[in-house]
Amino acid sequence: MVRRSLWWLVVVFSVVGLVGSIALAQEVLPGVPRSEVIIIEDPSGRSLDPGRFNLWGGGVTSWSTGVQQVCLGTLWYIDPDEGIEGDPWINLLAAEPPIYNENYTEMTVKLRQGITWSDGVAFTADDVIFTVETLKAHPEMTWGAYMQVNVEEVQKVDDYTVLFKLKKPNGRFHTIFTVRWSACYIMPKHIFEKVEDPVAFAFNPPIGTGPYVLKTYDTNGYWFLWELREDWDKSDLGVAYGKKPAPKYILYKGIASPEKKVMDQMAHELDIIHDLPPEGAITLSQNNPYCVTWFDGWPWAHPDPTLPAVIMNHEHFPYNLKEVRWALALAIDMVQVALQAYNGCATISPIHVPPTGLYPGWYFDKIEPWLKEFTLKVGTEELKPYDPEIPVKIAEAVKYAFGYKIPDDPQEIKKLVGYGWWKYAPDVAAKLLESAGFKKDKGGKWLLPDGKPWKISILCEAATRSVMTRAAAAIAEQWRKFGIDAQIEAVEPSMLWTRMNYGEDPNTVYWAWCIETWGGHPDLFWFLESWHSEYYRPTGQTVVAKNPMRYKSEAMDKIIEQLRQTDFFKDQEKMIELGLEYIKICVEDMPIIPVFSYNVFTVCDGYYWTGYPTAEDPYTNPVPNWGNTRFMFIKLQPAEKK
Amino acid sequence: MGGFLKFFIRYLGARLIVCFLVIFVGVTITFLIPRLIPGSNPAEIAVRRLQMAGAYLPPESVEPMREALLKLYGLEGSMIEQYFRYWRELLKGNLGPSFASFPTPVVVLISRSLPWTVGLLALTAVVSWVIGTLLGGVASYRGKRLWVRVFEMFSNAVRPIPYYIFALTLLIIFAYVLRWFPAGGAFQVGIVPSFSSTFVKSVIKHGFLPALSLIIIGMGAWFLNMRNLASGVTHEDFVIFAHQMKIKESTILKNYVMKTAMPAQLTGLALQLGTVFSGTIITEIVFNYPGLGTLAFTAIMQSDYNLIMGITLCSIVAVAFATLLVDLLLPFVDPRIQYTGGAG
Amino acid sequence: MSTAILTVTTRLFRRDVRFRVSLIILIPLIIFAVIALFSPYDARSSYYAPINRPPSLSHPFGTNGRGQDLFWLMSFALKNSLVFGLQVALLSRVIAMIVGVIAGYKGGVTDQILIFLCDSFIVLPIFPILIFLRLLTREMDLATLAVVLAFFGWPWDARLIRTQVLSLRERKFTITAIFSGENTWDLIFREYLLHILPIVFATTINNMLWSLGFEITLSVLGLTPLDIPTMGTVTYWAIQQQAMVMGIWWWILFPVIFIILLFTSLYLLFVSITDFINPRERVLTR
Repeated sequence: MVRRSLWWLVVVFSVVGLVGSIALAQEVLPGVPRSEVIIIEDPSGRSLDPGRFNLWGGGVTSWSTGVQQVCLGTLWYIDPDEGIEGDPWINLLAAEPPIYNENYTEMTVKLRQGITWSDGVAFTADDVIFTVETLKAHPEMTWGAYMQVNVEEVQKVDDYTVLFKLKKPNGRFHTIFTVRWSACYIMPKHIFEKVEDPVAFAFNPPIGTGPYVLKTYDTNGYWFLWELREDWDKSDLGVAYGKKPAPKYILYKGIASPEKKVMDQMAHELDIIHDLPPEGAITLSQNNPYCVTWFDGWPWAHPDPTLPAVIMNHEHFPYNLKEVRWALALAIDMVQVALQAYNGCATISPIHVPPTGLYPGWYFDKIEPWLKEFTLKVGTEELKPYDPEIPVKIAEAVKYAFGYKIPDDPQEIKKLVGYGWWKYAPDVAAKLLESAGFKKDKGGKWLLPDGKPWKISILCEAATRSVMTRAAAAIAEQWRKFGIDAQIEAVEPSMLWTRMNYGEDPNTVYWAWCIETWGGHPDLFWFLESWHSEYYRPTGQTVVAKNPMRYKSEAMDKIIEQLRQTDFFKDQEKMIELGLEYIKICVEDMPIIPVFSYNVFTVCDGYYWTGYPTAEDPYTNPVPNWGNTRFMFIKLQPAEKK
Repeated sequence: MGGFLKFFIRYLGARLIVCFLVIFVGVTITFLIPRLIPGSNPAEIAVRRLQMAGAYLPPESVEPMREALLKLYGLEGSMIEQYFRYWRELLKGNLGPSFASFPTPVVVLISRSLPWTVGLLALTAVVSWVIGTLLGGVASYRGKRLWVRVFEMFSNAVRPIPYYIFALTLLIIFAYVLRWFPAGGAFQVGIVPSFSSTFVKSVIKHGFLPALSLIIIGMGAWFLNMRNLASGVTHEDFVIFAHQMKIKESTILKNYVMKTAMPAQLTGLALQLGTVFSGTIITEIVFNYPGLGTLAFTAIMQSDYNLIMGITLCSIVAVAFATLLVDLLLPFVDPRIQYTGGAG
Repeated sequence: MSTAILTVTTRLFRRDVRFRVSLIILIPLIIFAVIALFSPYDARSSYYAPINRPPSLSHPFGTNGRGQDLFWLMSFALKNSLVFGLQVALLSRVIAMIVGVIAGYKGGVTDQILIFLCDSFIVLPIFPILIFLRLLTREMDLATLAVVLAFFGWPWDARLIRTQVLSLRERKFTITAIFSGENTWDLIFREYLLHILPIVFATTINNMLWSLGFEITLSVLGLTPLDIPTMGTVTYWAIQQQAMVMGIWWWILFPVIFIILLFTSLYLLFVSITDFINPRERVLTR
């Protein structure tokens, strides 16, 4: 028996060996030459229901499988960077920007002619009208409630002109059809009109106006392969730009572990990585000679027009006190936070707009003189808290700690990592707290005015975006050093956002964001609208949109109301003026503590493809899950044969 | 024999009732817990998902949407009403739609991941059990041999290594450095599942590394367990007696040592097979493997109640029946154990 | 009592090489964990040392990407993980032994009820339940996590013990013992315990592996208190800061070495004790 059992083992191992030998040999995409396909990471990972493409009906957990980038299209796009032809405003399915009547109750849209759906049917006004009417009838659909609230009726003027009649004046109605990250896409009438239940319909295969069609996909949800339409010249991109996208195939692929992304790209098996921890991206850029990043060198990453911030619920004591919020800001050493969270690759912002896209010119240059003069008063003392030297300090620290090459010119550094931040002034912070009745105990720990120890738990993301967890840990450490019993609590993003929106956790601040902008358009209404007190929801009720700190200010209400009156296209100057007012109020009140823009380490590989967007040629956002990355495909070129 | 049958049936009846009670309790607990978490219902999460993704949702349309979704998901009514509705539907065999992937039925989502998880985990569990138990049995008998010592140390050394690191190391060595195996997925990108030899080969090729990582880790545990159990047996009177009777060593090993240690090992195997339905999330993350682990984790994070219930139900039923099976089979493996329950 | 333990220990130490080896590893490990109490740094602090330096005289285990000295970090982590694992193991062993022995010995209705309880715990898929409990309690510290895991960690082993007791009960010596009128508890302690202890020891290791493995899995997913050093959170940060990609091998290697040493020495210890308490060991001379 001993013998026989060993024999048995021999059999087992030879089976293993046999299986192993089957497994040997390299693999390529069957029937697709590597040089014709661009492989892109889809950050949503595994799509749970991959056969469902009905973005309108909901139930699609992953939008970035290519369906919103290269298949579906909508009327307009605003690029977070400079835009493919130098203008961030892009008319895609529409021929021109929307035309409003005088009191913004009607919006006329002229459509581009000659576009066909990927199955050959012509794209006309009927599709737009059908989309709006279907959504209006189904508030449970993704943009349904919006249409129901806003649209009185939608009329066909001719085959390529649509007239929207709105229920009330709304000069920003078109933004629902304007892609920032995503927007309401136009649905093909000829497909959906045959469908009984537009919510249940899977929309498989997806039919879009975009230049690519779905070829095959993984039933397990890990990859989606798209093929260039033969009639690409009749797709929205083709008609608008007349240029043929170079990649014949696009493969969107979900990859969960960051180590794998790095190794895949080193092996030239992954052309665009969506995001990486800083160390991974920097390692790649140092080791792969074909590596393309937004900045060619420190700080590498692309700053998204999103502003992570320390968000405090003003309904909880002591965060209702302006002094406390300011004290918390001054107790943060920004150089340390940038270093620990981002290896110094953060684009910092002292004010409440993201320092990205065209915003430096619109807002930062204009506000900086005011910031330099801005004074905080604590009792009889005064402090000018703005520190324009922080970018240089970050650069020096980076050079020292990591040995990265940094430019000598402070103006250059400013372009790379932002204008400045608040001084690290724990002494002033202490005076601010004392003025609010806080005391220190014998061990140097802060006590609340009622004598209890002050505890803060920073709720942050767990394993999804490492920089966010790291930043929260860095801030907690800064506060501990200052004498507050601070710690981080990491949770999954959906839990973080749910808890933030209810705001019920005592002793908790949130490390997330509620300020997001177009990047390529100065209008702040996009996020600011919900800061109006008419949308205010008390703690325990979920906030309506982007006011989780439950901030209420009459001055802010007035700005929002004035902003509502401005014209999206004609009144840019006025918008910027109001935006500057908004920034000043925010700096005074510090409703949330802005920290830095969400910098994405999108790393591209130039081995098979070149022409990726970079800071030198910022024609679009390289971050590949954004809807507007579709413009990248007409700029990409195959790399020279090796 | 008739007496035995009667006895067996009575025992089986009692045991089945317990089994169903266990399932009932398990389902009730998994029904309650997610609903007790404050401020998380699937409609909220759906709206939040849109906001997090950066889709534009103006404030005034958020509330109508939330209400419409609640209605759509059938989440109105008190928790007790929902509970009874859930059982009513469950008994009809309806697990309901997934909320995050609405309106795809939960059953469809589970059935897509199930074959991969069960295929990978059941196979690796059985293989590692067989190898571990056999080697462990032999080792208990040949405790002083060099290979036993080496294998024992190896098993001990491998088991505590954090699985993520262990799996990733395997992956780096075999998929990136040696390039023997693909780096991830269940089968090759670009091919469509079918019963063709290309597909089957591709599945084996892709399953090899994840399976290997699970077997190496699993085998050691069974080996050490078996060694410990069986070495206890080798010191028993009847084994010593058998030696003195000059019975062939292989017979002693097979009939005395292995057999007596078998009940505990089998119990372990059955229970592990039952837990297969929970999936292994880290394996799935490292190897991009499509299984129930990531499905369940996503479901929890999106408060997809029905999907959570569906997956846990699978797992609960599987484990409950596995334990039942163990109780029924043990007397056959070890005749000294009798059906003691119920009829006592 | 303590002198008895001492004599047993010295006897084992002389007789059994495995015991010697295990103590030689285990004692320094425990000392290493204990000196965490005397660390010059706060366990949660970071960036007090240079970043990603390989082992050197000033930092014997090197430093990690968070500017932490791995020597002290490992000391904290080992202490926290060891305490955590022992908490889970002790608590769940006690429950498992009580339930398993009573169920196996008493049989009948008691057995049925206990097995029902056992099975109810066994069927609950722990991973989702644990994440739920975490969401429900919001902040779950390590001690709470240990208690929760202990409550999930006993039923499997209780069943193993019950199976063993069942098969022991049918054996001759039980029947002999019962006929000779031995006291039940005496019987359990005198005869059963010796047969159960090997299972208890073997399952202790398995249980610690399971609980620490769980802690590591939860940490990799970022669901434990991330600023408290444990084997899990050290792994979490090493993954998050790409130690493997950057080639910071010491950040991975030292935790792995420590955890292997810990479990190998525990294993040797338990095996040697098992062999010692097994009364037939000395009879057998093979």
